[in-house]
Amino acid sequence: MKPVRYPKEALLRRIEAHPRIVGTVSVLAIIVIWSFLTRPGTSLSGVLASPGELVEELWVLLRKGYMGTSLWSHFQASLMRTMIGFTLGSISGVLVGLVIGQNKIIAAALAPFFSFVRPIPAIAYIPMVILWFGIGEFSKILVIFMSSFLYVSMNTAAGVRAVPVDLIRVAQTFGASSRQLFFYVIFPEALPYVMLGLKVGLALSWAVVVASELVAAQSGLGYMIMDAATFFRIKDVYIGVFLIGLVGLLLEGILVLVERKVVHWSGKA
Amino acid sequence: MSDALIEVFGLTHYFDGPAGTHKALDNVSLEMVAGEIFAVIGPSGCGKTTLLNIIGGFVDPSEGEVRVHGERVRGPAPDRGVIFQGYALYRWLTVQENVEFGLKILGLGRKARAERARHYLALVGLDEFRSHYTYQLSGGMKQRVAIARALAADPEILLLDEPFGALDAQMREILQEELLRIWDKTRKTIFLITHSVEEAVFLSHRTCVMTARPGRIKQILEINLPQPRYDFHVRTSPQFNAYKERVLEMVREEVGSDSRPDHMSA
Repeated sequence: MKPVRYPKEALLRRIEAHPRIVGTVSVLAIIVIWSFLTRPGTSLSGVLASPGELVEELWVLLRKGYMGTSLWSHFQASLMRTMIGFTLGSISGVLVGLVIGQNKIIAAALAPFFSFVRPIPAIAYIPMVILWFGIGEFSKILVIFMSSFLYVSMNTAAGVRAVPVDLIRVAQTFGASSRQLFFYVIFPEALPYVMLGLKVGLALSWAVVVASELVAAQSGLGYMIMDAATFFRIKDVYIGVFLIGLVGLLLEGILVLVERKVVHWSGKA
Repeated sequence: MSDALIEVFGLTHYFDGPAGTHKALDNVSLEMVAGEIFAVIGPSGCGKTTLLNIIGGFVDPSEGEVRVHGERVRGPAPDRGVIFQGYALYRWLTVQENVEFGLKILGLGRKARAERARHYLALVGLDEFRSHYTYQLSGGMKQRVAIARALAADPEILLLDEPFGALDAQMREILQEELLRIWDKTRKTIFLITHSVEEAVFLSHRTCVMTARPGRIKQILEINLPQPRYDFHVRTSPQFNAYKERVLEMVREEVGSDSRPDHMSA
Protein backbone atom coordinates (compact mmCIF):
# COMPACT_ATOMS: atom_id res chain seq x y z
CA MET A 1 0.00 0.00 0.00
CA LYS A 2 1.18 3.49 -0.80
CA PRO A 3 1.60 5.86 2.14
CA VAL A 4 -1.21 8.36 2.28
CA ARG A 5 -0.11 11.98 1.94
CA TYR A 6 -1.85 15.00 3.33
CA PRO A 7 -0.11 17.89 1.58
CA LYS A 8 -2.07 20.63 3.36
CA GLU A 9 -1.33 19.31 6.80
CA ALA A 10 2.31 18.78 5.94
CA LEU A 11 2.62 22.45 4.99
CA LEU A 12 0.94 23.58 8.20
CA ARG A 13 3.24 21.42 10.23
CA ARG A 14 6.27 22.91 8.51
CA ILE A 15 5.05 26.41 9.30
CA GLU A 16 4.34 25.39 12.88
CA ALA A 17 7.97 24.37 13.27
CA HIS A 18 9.15 27.97 12.75
CA PRO A 19 7.39 30.16 15.32
CA ARG A 20 9.97 32.94 14.94
CA ILE A 21 9.40 33.32 11.24
CA VAL A 22 5.63 33.36 11.84
CA GLY A 23 6.09 36.05 14.49
CA THR A 24 8.27 38.20 12.23
CA VAL A 25 5.81 37.87 9.36
CA SER A 26 2.88 38.90 11.57
CA VAL A 27 4.75 42.03 12.74
CA LEU A 28 5.65 42.95 9.15
CA ALA A 29 2.06 42.33 8.09
CA ILE A 30 0.73 44.73 10.72
CA ILE A 31 3.22 47.42 9.66
CA VAL A 32 2.19 46.99 6.02
CA ILE A 33 -1.54 47.16 6.85
CA TRP A 34 -0.94 50.12 9.15
CA SER A 35 1.07 51.95 6.46
CA PHE A 36 -1.64 51.22 3.92
CA LEU A 37 -4.48 52.50 6.11
CA THR A 38 -2.61 55.68 7.09
CA ARG A 39 -1.22 56.53 3.64
CA PRO A 40 -1.62 60.21 2.66
CA GLY A 41 -5.12 61.10 1.54
CA THR A 42 -7.07 58.54 3.57
CA SER A 43 -9.45 59.50 6.36
CA LEU A 44 -7.22 57.82 8.97
CA SER A 45 -4.10 59.71 7.94
CA GLY A 46 -5.00 62.75 10.01
CA VAL A 47 -5.89 60.73 13.09
CA LEU A 48 -3.22 58.06 13.26
CA ALA A 49 0.44 58.57 12.44
CA SER A 50 1.90 56.23 9.87
CA PRO A 51 4.91 54.05 10.65
CA GLY A 52 7.03 56.13 8.31
CA GLU A 53 6.12 59.34 10.11
CA LEU A 54 6.96 57.79 13.46
CA VAL A 55 10.37 56.68 12.25
CA GLU A 56 11.02 60.22 11.02
CA GLU A 57 9.91 61.65 14.35
CA LEU A 58 12.07 59.18 16.26
CA TRP A 59 15.01 60.31 14.19
CA VAL A 60 14.24 63.93 15.08
CA LEU A 61 13.93 63.03 18.77
CA LEU A 62 17.18 61.14 18.72
CA ARG A 63 19.00 64.12 17.19
CA LYS A 64 17.32 67.07 18.89
CA GLY A 65 15.79 65.51 21.99
CA TYR A 66 12.32 66.16 23.37
CA MET A 67 11.64 69.84 24.17
CA GLY A 68 15.35 70.57 24.47
CA THR A 69 16.20 67.57 26.64
CA SER A 70 17.88 64.64 24.94
CA LEU A 71 15.95 61.39 24.64
CA TRP A 72 18.86 59.64 26.26
CA SER A 73 18.60 61.70 29.45
CA HIS A 74 14.87 60.90 29.78
CA PHE A 75 15.70 57.27 29.26
CA GLN A 76 18.53 57.50 31.77
CA ALA A 77 16.32 59.18 34.37
CA SER A 78 13.75 56.37 34.21
CA LEU A 79 16.37 53.64 34.19
CA MET A 80 18.30 55.10 37.14
CA ARG A 81 15.17 55.29 39.30
CA THR A 82 14.24 51.74 38.38
CA MET A 83 17.70 50.39 39.04
CA ILE A 84 18.13 52.09 42.41
CA GLY A 85 14.64 51.10 43.63
CA PHE A 86 14.85 47.60 42.20
CA THR A 87 18.34 46.88 43.51
CA LEU A 88 17.52 48.03 47.03
CA GLY A 89 14.12 46.29 46.91
CA SER A 90 15.64 43.03 45.67
CA ILE A 91 18.47 42.90 48.17
CA SER A 92 16.18 43.57 51.13
CA GLY A 93 13.50 41.33 49.55
CA VAL A 94 15.88 38.37 49.35
CA LEU A 95 17.11 38.92 52.92
CA VAL A 96 13.60 39.27 54.38
CA GLY A 97 12.34 36.37 52.26
CA LEU A 98 15.10 34.09 53.54
CA VAL A 99 14.15 34.93 57.12
CA ILE A 100 10.41 34.51 56.53
CA GLY A 101 10.98 31.22 54.74
CA GLN A 102 12.90 29.76 57.66
CA ASN A 103 11.21 31.28 60.69
CA LYS A 104 7.58 30.29 61.07
CA ILE A 105 6.87 32.78 63.86
CA ILE A 106 8.17 35.76 61.90
CA ALA A 107 6.32 34.45 58.85
CA ALA A 108 3.07 34.25 60.82
CA ALA A 109 3.59 37.72 62.29
CA LEU A 110 4.16 39.27 58.86
CA ALA A 111 1.58 37.20 56.96
CA PRO A 112 -1.44 39.53 57.53
CA PHE A 113 0.51 42.57 56.30
CA PHE A 114 1.82 40.79 53.26
CA SER A 115 -1.53 39.32 52.29
CA PHE A 116 -3.20 42.70 52.66
CA VAL A 117 -0.57 44.65 50.77
CA ARG A 118 -0.06 42.15 47.95
CA PRO A 119 -3.28 42.80 45.98
CA ILE A 120 -2.81 46.60 46.16
CA PRO A 121 -1.14 47.79 42.95
CA ALA A 122 1.97 49.81 43.76
CA ILE A 123 0.53 52.65 41.66
CA ALA A 124 -2.13 53.17 44.34
CA TYR A 125 0.58 54.27 46.77
CA ILE A 126 1.86 57.05 44.55
CA PRO A 127 -0.48 59.79 45.84
CA MET A 128 0.13 58.74 49.44
CA VAL A 129 3.88 58.68 49.02
CA ILE A 130 3.77 62.09 47.35
CA LEU A 131 1.81 63.43 50.34
CA TRP A 132 4.43 62.10 52.71
CA PHE A 133 7.65 62.72 50.84
CA GLY A 134 6.82 65.21 48.09
CA ILE A 135 7.42 64.72 44.37
CA GLY A 136 11.18 64.28 44.48
CA GLU A 137 13.29 61.31 43.46
CA PHE A 138 12.87 59.67 46.84
CA SER A 139 9.12 59.18 46.35
CA LYS A 140 9.55 57.46 43.01
CA ILE A 141 12.33 55.24 44.22
CA LEU A 142 10.31 54.32 47.30
CA VAL A 143 7.36 53.13 45.23
CA ILE A 144 9.65 51.05 43.02
CA PHE A 145 11.39 49.72 46.10
CA MET A 146 8.06 48.62 47.59
CA SER A 147 6.81 46.82 44.51
CA SER A 148 10.02 44.91 43.88
CA PHE A 149 10.57 44.19 47.56
CA LEU A 150 7.16 42.59 47.88
CA TYR A 151 7.57 40.25 44.92
CA VAL A 152 11.13 39.26 45.63
CA SER A 153 10.53 38.61 49.32
CA MET A 154 7.39 36.54 48.73
CA ASN A 155 9.08 34.43 46.05
CA THR A 156 12.23 33.95 48.08
CA ALA A 157 10.20 32.82 51.09
CA ALA A 158 8.22 30.42 48.90
CA GLY A 159 11.49 29.06 47.51
CA VAL A 160 12.90 28.43 50.96
CA ARG A 161 9.69 26.71 52.06
CA ALA A 162 9.73 24.52 48.96
CA VAL A 163 13.16 23.03 49.72
CA PRO A 164 12.51 19.27 49.92
CA VAL A 165 13.15 17.94 53.41
CA ASP A 166 15.20 15.04 52.01
CA LEU A 167 17.82 17.44 50.66
CA ILE A 168 18.26 18.83 54.16
CA ARG A 169 18.29 15.40 55.77
CA VAL A 170 21.02 14.12 53.48
CA ALA A 171 23.20 17.08 54.44
CA GLN A 172 22.42 16.48 58.12
CA THR A 173 23.68 12.90 57.90
CA PHE A 174 27.08 14.37 57.01
CA GLY A 175 26.91 16.55 60.09
CA ALA A 176 26.12 19.85 58.35
CA SER A 177 25.83 22.86 60.64
CA SER A 178 22.87 25.18 60.21
CA ARG A 179 25.17 27.66 58.48
CA GLN A 180 26.30 24.96 56.04
CA LEU A 181 22.69 23.83 55.52
CA PHE A 182 21.80 27.38 54.59
CA PHE A 183 24.67 28.11 52.23
CA TYR A 184 25.08 24.64 50.68
CA VAL A 185 21.45 23.52 50.43
CA ILE A 186 18.68 25.99 51.22
CA PHE A 187 19.97 29.04 49.37
CA PRO A 188 20.95 27.30 46.12
CA GLU A 189 17.75 25.25 46.09
CA ALA A 190 15.67 28.42 46.54
CA LEU A 191 17.56 30.36 43.84
CA PRO A 192 15.21 29.53 40.94
CA TYR A 193 12.34 31.02 42.94
CA VAL A 194 14.44 34.07 43.75
CA MET A 195 15.18 34.52 40.05
CA LEU A 196 11.49 34.31 39.23
CA GLY A 197 10.81 36.98 41.84
CA LEU A 198 13.53 39.18 40.35
CA LYS A 199 12.08 38.81 36.86
CA VAL A 200 8.57 39.76 37.92
CA GLY A 201 9.90 42.43 40.28
CA LEU A 202 11.92 44.11 37.55
CA ALA A 203 9.02 44.13 35.08
CA LEU A 204 6.84 45.60 37.80
CA SER A 205 9.44 48.20 38.75
CA TRP A 206 9.63 49.37 35.17
CA ALA A 207 5.85 49.68 34.97
CA VAL A 208 5.77 51.55 38.26
CA VAL A 209 8.51 54.02 37.35
CA VAL A 210 6.59 55.04 34.25
CA ALA A 211 3.39 55.40 36.27
CA SER A 212 5.08 57.55 38.92
CA GLU A 213 6.59 59.75 36.21
CA LEU A 214 3.15 60.22 34.70
CA VAL A 215 1.96 61.67 37.99
CA ALA A 216 4.81 63.89 39.03
CA ALA A 217 8.16 64.27 37.32
CA GLN A 218 10.31 66.64 35.30
CA SER A 219 12.19 63.92 33.47
CA GLY A 220 11.88 60.32 32.38
CA LEU A 221 9.99 58.49 29.64
CA GLY A 222 6.75 58.60 31.63
CA TYR A 223 7.08 62.38 32.00
CA MET A 224 7.80 62.63 28.28
CA ILE A 225 4.63 60.86 27.15
CA MET A 226 2.50 62.72 29.68
CA ASP A 227 3.91 66.05 28.56
CA ALA A 228 3.59 65.14 24.91
CA ALA A 229 -0.05 64.16 25.39
CA THR A 230 -0.78 67.43 27.21
CA PHE A 231 0.61 69.40 24.30
CA PHE A 232 -0.89 67.12 21.69
CA ARG A 233 2.40 65.86 20.32
CA ILE A 234 0.76 62.56 19.46
CA LYS A 235 3.70 61.10 17.58
CA ASP A 236 5.96 61.64 20.59
CA VAL A 237 3.40 59.83 22.74
CA TYR A 238 3.52 56.79 20.46
CA ILE A 239 7.27 56.81 20.34
CA GLY A 240 7.46 57.11 24.13
CA VAL A 241 5.13 54.15 24.59
CA PHE A 242 7.11 52.16 22.06
CA LEU A 243 10.41 52.92 23.81
CA ILE A 244 8.95 51.97 27.19
CA GLY A 245 7.92 48.62 25.74
CA LEU A 246 11.30 48.13 24.13
CA VAL A 247 13.20 48.80 27.35
CA GLY A 248 10.87 46.47 29.29
CA LEU A 249 11.56 43.75 26.77
CA LEU A 250 15.33 44.30 26.99
CA LEU A 251 15.31 44.25 30.79
CA GLU A 252 13.43 40.96 30.80
CA GLY A 253 15.77 39.54 28.15
CA ILE A 254 18.79 40.37 30.27
CA LEU A 255 17.31 38.62 33.30
CA VAL A 256 16.36 35.57 31.24
CA LEU A 257 19.98 35.31 30.12
CA VAL A 258 21.21 35.70 33.68
CA GLU A 259 18.72 33.06 34.80
CA ARG A 260 19.90 30.55 32.23
CA LYS A 261 23.47 31.07 33.34
CA VAL A 262 23.03 31.23 37.10
CA VAL A 263 20.23 28.73 37.71
CA HIS A 264 20.83 26.36 34.82
CA TRP A 265 19.03 23.57 36.68
CA SER A 266 15.81 25.55 37.05
CA GLY A 267 12.76 23.52 36.04
CA LYS A 268 14.80 20.35 35.54
CA ALA A 269 14.33 17.31 37.75
CA MET B 1 25.68 -6.22 76.54
CA SER B 2 24.35 -7.44 73.28
CA ASP B 3 26.56 -7.55 70.22
CA ALA B 4 23.94 -5.73 68.17
CA LEU B 5 25.05 -2.68 66.20
CA ILE B 6 21.60 -1.12 66.14
CA GLU B 7 19.12 -1.61 68.96
CA VAL B 8 15.59 -0.33 68.73
CA PHE B 9 13.73 -0.30 72.06
CA GLY B 10 9.99 0.04 72.42
CA LEU B 11 9.44 2.68 69.78
CA THR B 12 5.97 4.18 69.81
CA HIS B 13 5.25 7.22 67.75
CA TYR B 14 2.25 9.48 67.38
CA PHE B 15 1.46 12.02 64.69
CA ASP B 16 -0.89 14.93 65.06
CA GLY B 17 -3.21 14.73 62.08
CA PRO B 18 -6.25 16.75 61.08
CA ALA B 19 -8.50 14.09 62.59
CA GLY B 20 -6.70 13.86 65.89
CA THR B 21 -3.65 11.99 67.07
CA HIS B 22 -2.64 9.08 64.92
CA LYS B 23 -0.48 6.25 66.18
CA ALA B 24 2.10 5.40 63.56
CA LEU B 25 4.30 2.96 65.46
CA ASP B 26 3.37 0.74 68.37
CA ASN B 27 6.09 -0.67 70.62
CA VAL B 28 8.58 -1.65 67.93
CA SER B 29 11.76 -3.33 69.13
CA LEU B 30 14.44 -4.95 67.03
CA GLU B 31 18.18 -5.50 66.79
CA MET B 32 20.53 -5.56 63.88
CA VAL B 33 24.06 -6.95 63.83
CA ALA B 34 26.92 -5.40 61.93
CA GLY B 35 27.04 -6.35 58.26
CA GLU B 36 23.44 -7.42 58.14
CA ILE B 37 20.89 -6.47 55.50
CA PHE B 38 17.58 -5.99 57.26
CA ALA B 39 14.43 -5.29 55.26
CA VAL B 40 11.18 -3.89 56.58
CA ILE B 41 8.05 -4.47 54.56
CA GLY B 42 4.45 -3.64 55.23
CA PRO B 43 1.34 -2.00 53.82
CA SER B 44 1.53 1.70 53.12
CA GLY B 45 0.89 3.74 56.22
CA CYS B 46 2.36 1.08 58.51
CA GLY B 47 4.95 3.53 59.80
CA LYS B 48 7.97 1.93 58.14
CA THR B 49 9.28 5.25 56.87
CA THR B 50 8.73 6.72 60.33
CA LEU B 51 10.85 3.90 61.71
CA LEU B 52 13.64 4.79 59.28
CA ASN B 53 13.33 8.47 60.14
CA ILE B 54 13.69 7.68 63.83
CA ILE B 55 16.73 5.45 63.28
CA GLY B 56 18.19 8.17 61.06
CA GLY B 57 17.67 10.67 63.85
CA PHE B 58 15.42 12.89 61.73
CA VAL B 59 12.41 12.32 63.97
CA ASP B 60 12.33 12.04 67.77
CA PRO B 61 10.16 9.10 68.84
CA SER B 62 7.26 9.75 71.21
CA GLU B 63 8.41 6.80 73.31
CA GLY B 64 11.38 4.45 73.22
CA GLU B 65 14.84 4.93 71.82
CA VAL B 66 17.37 3.81 69.25
CA ARG B 67 20.96 2.95 70.11
CA VAL B 68 23.90 2.56 67.78
CA HIS B 69 26.92 0.92 69.41
CA GLY B 70 25.02 1.27 72.67
CA GLU B 71 24.88 5.07 72.27
CA ARG B 72 21.49 6.69 72.15
CA VAL B 73 20.66 8.33 68.80
CA ARG B 74 20.03 12.05 69.25
CA GLY B 75 20.02 13.21 65.65
CA PRO B 76 21.47 12.49 62.23
CA ALA B 77 25.18 11.73 62.16
CA PRO B 78 27.79 10.51 59.66
CA ASP B 79 27.62 6.94 61.01
CA ARG B 80 24.23 6.57 59.29
CA GLY B 81 24.02 7.40 55.56
CA VAL B 82 20.68 7.67 53.80
CA ILE B 83 19.41 6.90 50.32
CA PHE B 84 15.93 8.13 49.45
CA GLN B 85 13.46 7.05 46.79
CA GLY B 86 13.57 10.53 45.23
CA TYR B 87 17.43 10.50 45.10
CA ALA B 88 17.66 13.88 46.90
CA LEU B 89 20.54 15.02 44.70
CA TYR B 90 21.74 18.61 44.55
CA ARG B 91 20.78 19.84 41.11
CA TRP B 92 23.21 22.76 41.03
CA LEU B 93 26.18 20.42 41.54
CA THR B 94 27.80 18.07 39.07
CA VAL B 95 27.79 14.33 39.69
CA GLN B 96 31.25 14.44 41.23
CA GLU B 97 30.42 17.49 43.35
CA ASN B 98 27.37 15.63 44.65
CA VAL B 99 29.53 12.70 45.70
CA GLU B 100 32.04 15.11 47.27
CA PHE B 101 29.28 16.98 49.10
CA GLY B 102 29.43 15.01 52.34
CA LEU B 103 33.21 14.90 52.27
CA LYS B 104 33.33 18.67 52.03
CA ILE B 105 31.11 18.97 55.10
CA LEU B 106 33.23 16.40 56.87
CA GLY B 107 36.19 18.68 56.25
CA LEU B 108 38.26 16.71 53.72
CA GLY B 109 40.67 18.65 51.51
CA ARG B 110 40.02 19.20 47.84
CA LYS B 111 42.39 16.50 46.64
CA ALA B 112 41.27 13.84 49.09
CA ARG B 113 37.62 14.58 48.24
CA ALA B 114 38.18 14.24 44.52
CA GLU B 115 40.11 11.01 44.95
CA ARG B 116 37.45 9.43 47.14
CA ALA B 117 34.62 10.62 44.94
CA ARG B 118 36.29 9.17 41.84
CA HIS B 119 36.73 5.85 43.64
CA TYR B 120 33.04 5.57 44.52
CA LEU B 121 31.91 6.86 41.14
CA ALA B 122 33.94 4.07 39.59
CA LEU B 123 32.34 1.60 42.00
CA VAL B 124 28.86 2.53 40.76
CA GLY B 125 30.06 2.77 37.15
CA LEU B 126 29.56 6.50 36.67
CA ASP B 127 33.09 7.84 36.43
CA GLU B 128 32.66 9.03 32.87
CA PHE B 129 29.57 11.01 33.86
CA ARG B 130 31.29 12.84 36.71
CA SER B 131 31.07 16.26 35.00
CA HIS B 132 27.38 15.93 34.14
CA TYR B 133 24.67 17.64 36.09
CA THR B 134 22.29 15.26 37.77
CA TYR B 135 19.30 16.42 35.70
CA GLN B 136 21.10 15.08 32.66
CA LEU B 137 20.99 11.52 34.05
CA SER B 138 18.39 8.76 33.99
CA GLY B 139 16.67 7.65 37.20
CA GLY B 140 18.90 4.62 37.61
CA MET B 141 22.03 6.73 37.22
CA LYS B 142 20.71 9.29 39.68
CA GLN B 143 20.21 6.63 42.31
CA ARG B 144 23.75 5.39 41.65
CA VAL B 145 25.01 8.90 42.37
CA ALA B 146 23.05 8.91 45.62
CA ILE B 147 24.53 5.53 46.56
CA ALA B 148 28.05 6.77 45.77
CA ARG B 149 27.42 9.95 47.78
CA ALA B 150 26.30 7.96 50.81
CA LEU B 151 29.15 5.44 50.52
CA ALA B 152 31.83 8.11 50.05
CA ALA B 153 31.30 9.38 53.60
CA ASP B 154 31.97 5.80 54.75
CA PRO B 155 29.03 5.38 57.15
CA GLU B 156 28.74 2.18 59.15
CA ILE B 157 25.06 1.96 58.41
CA LEU B 158 23.05 2.66 55.27
CA LEU B 159 19.39 3.55 55.60
CA LEU B 160 17.48 2.96 52.36
CA ASP B 161 13.94 4.29 52.04
CA GLU B 162 12.29 2.50 49.10
CA PRO B 163 15.43 3.24 47.13
CA PHE B 164 14.41 1.68 43.84
CA GLY B 165 10.69 2.41 43.96
CA ALA B 166 10.85 5.12 41.31
CA LEU B 167 12.72 3.00 38.77
CA ASP B 168 11.41 0.75 36.02
CA ALA B 169 11.38 -2.99 36.67
CA GLN B 170 14.58 -3.80 34.78
CA MET B 171 16.59 -0.99 36.32
CA ARG B 172 15.27 -1.89 39.75
CA GLU B 173 16.56 -5.47 39.47
CA ILE B 174 19.92 -4.34 38.10
CA LEU B 175 20.40 -1.88 40.93
CA GLN B 176 19.35 -4.48 43.50
CA GLU B 177 22.08 -6.78 42.19
CA GLU B 178 24.53 -3.89 42.18
CA LEU B 179 23.68 -3.08 45.78
CA LEU B 180 24.43 -6.66 46.78
CA ARG B 181 27.72 -6.52 44.92
CA ILE B 182 28.61 -3.30 46.75
CA TRP B 183 27.54 -4.87 50.04
CA ASP B 184 29.83 -7.81 49.30
CA LYS B 185 32.77 -5.40 48.95
CA THR B 186 31.94 -3.06 51.82
CA ARG B 187 29.89 -5.19 54.25
CA LYS B 188 27.88 -2.18 55.37
CA THR B 189 24.93 -2.72 57.68
CA ILE B 190 21.86 -1.97 55.59
CA PHE B 191 18.41 -1.07 56.86
CA LEU B 192 16.02 -1.22 53.94
CA ILE B 193 12.43 -0.03 53.75
CA THR B 194 10.50 -1.47 50.83
CA HIS B 195 7.00 -2.25 49.65
CA SER B 196 8.25 -4.92 47.29
CA VAL B 197 8.16 -8.50 48.59
CA GLU B 198 10.58 -9.56 45.89
CA GLU B 199 13.05 -6.82 46.86
CA ALA B 200 12.91 -7.68 50.55
CA VAL B 201 13.51 -11.38 49.92
CA PHE B 202 16.19 -10.87 47.29
CA LEU B 203 18.23 -8.32 49.27
CA SER B 204 17.80 -9.08 52.92
CA HIS B 205 19.20 -11.56 55.40
CA ARG B 206 16.16 -10.93 57.53
CA THR B 207 12.82 -9.52 56.47
CA CYS B 208 10.57 -7.86 59.01
CA VAL B 209 6.86 -7.76 58.15
CA MET B 210 4.90 -4.99 59.83
CA THR B 211 1.22 -4.83 60.64
CA ALA B 212 -1.14 -2.25 59.23
CA ARG B 213 -1.65 0.88 61.30
CA PRO B 214 -0.49 1.25 63.89
CA GLY B 215 2.76 -0.41 62.78
CA ARG B 216 3.87 -3.32 64.93
CA ILE B 217 6.31 -6.07 64.13
CA LYS B 218 4.28 -8.99 62.84
CA GLN B 219 7.14 -11.34 62.21
CA ILE B 220 10.84 -11.34 61.43
CA LEU B 221 11.81 -13.99 58.93
CA GLU B 222 15.31 -15.19 58.19
CA ILE B 223 16.04 -15.48 54.48
CA ASN B 224 18.54 -18.28 53.96
CA LEU B 225 19.36 -17.99 50.31
CA PRO B 226 22.75 -18.98 48.87
CA GLN B 227 25.55 -16.37 48.94
CA PRO B 228 26.67 -14.51 46.95
CA ARG B 229 23.20 -13.67 45.84
CA TYR B 230 23.76 -11.01 43.22
CA ASP B 231 23.19 -13.55 40.44
CA PHE B 232 19.75 -12.94 38.99
CA HIS B 233 19.16 -16.70 38.72
CA VAL B 234 18.43 -16.69 42.42
CA ARG B 235 15.23 -14.84 41.56
CA THR B 236 13.75 -17.87 39.83
CA SER B 237 14.96 -20.55 42.25
CA PRO B 238 12.39 -22.64 44.16
CA GLN B 239 13.68 -21.46 47.59
CA PHE B 240 13.38 -17.84 46.52
CA ASN B 241 9.80 -18.36 45.45
CA ALA B 242 8.98 -20.19 48.67
CA TYR B 243 10.27 -17.22 50.71
CA LYS B 244 8.38 -14.84 48.51
CA GLU B 245 5.19 -16.77 49.06
CA ARG B 246 5.58 -16.77 52.85
CA VAL B 247 6.31 -13.06 53.03
CA LEU B 248 3.53 -12.30 50.58
CA GLU B 249 1.04 -14.28 52.69
CA MET B 250 1.91 -12.23 55.75
CA VAL B 251 1.78 -8.95 53.87
CA ARG B 252 -1.58 -9.83 52.32
CA GLU B 253 -3.08 -10.55 55.72
CA GLU B 254 -2.18 -6.99 56.67
CA VAL B 255 -3.31 -5.34 53.46
CA GLY B 256 -6.63 -7.15 53.90
CA SER B 257 -6.98 -5.96 57.48
CA ASP B 258 -6.36 -2.36 56.54
CA SER B 259 -10.03 -1.49 56.58
CA ARG B 260 -9.92 -0.20 60.14
CA PRO B 261 -10.35 3.52 60.67
CA ASP B 262 -7.26 5.61 59.96
CA HIS B 263 -7.23 7.63 63.11
CA MET B 264 -7.77 7.24 66.80
CA SER B 265 -9.45 10.06 68.59
CA ALA B 266 -7.04 12.11 70.66
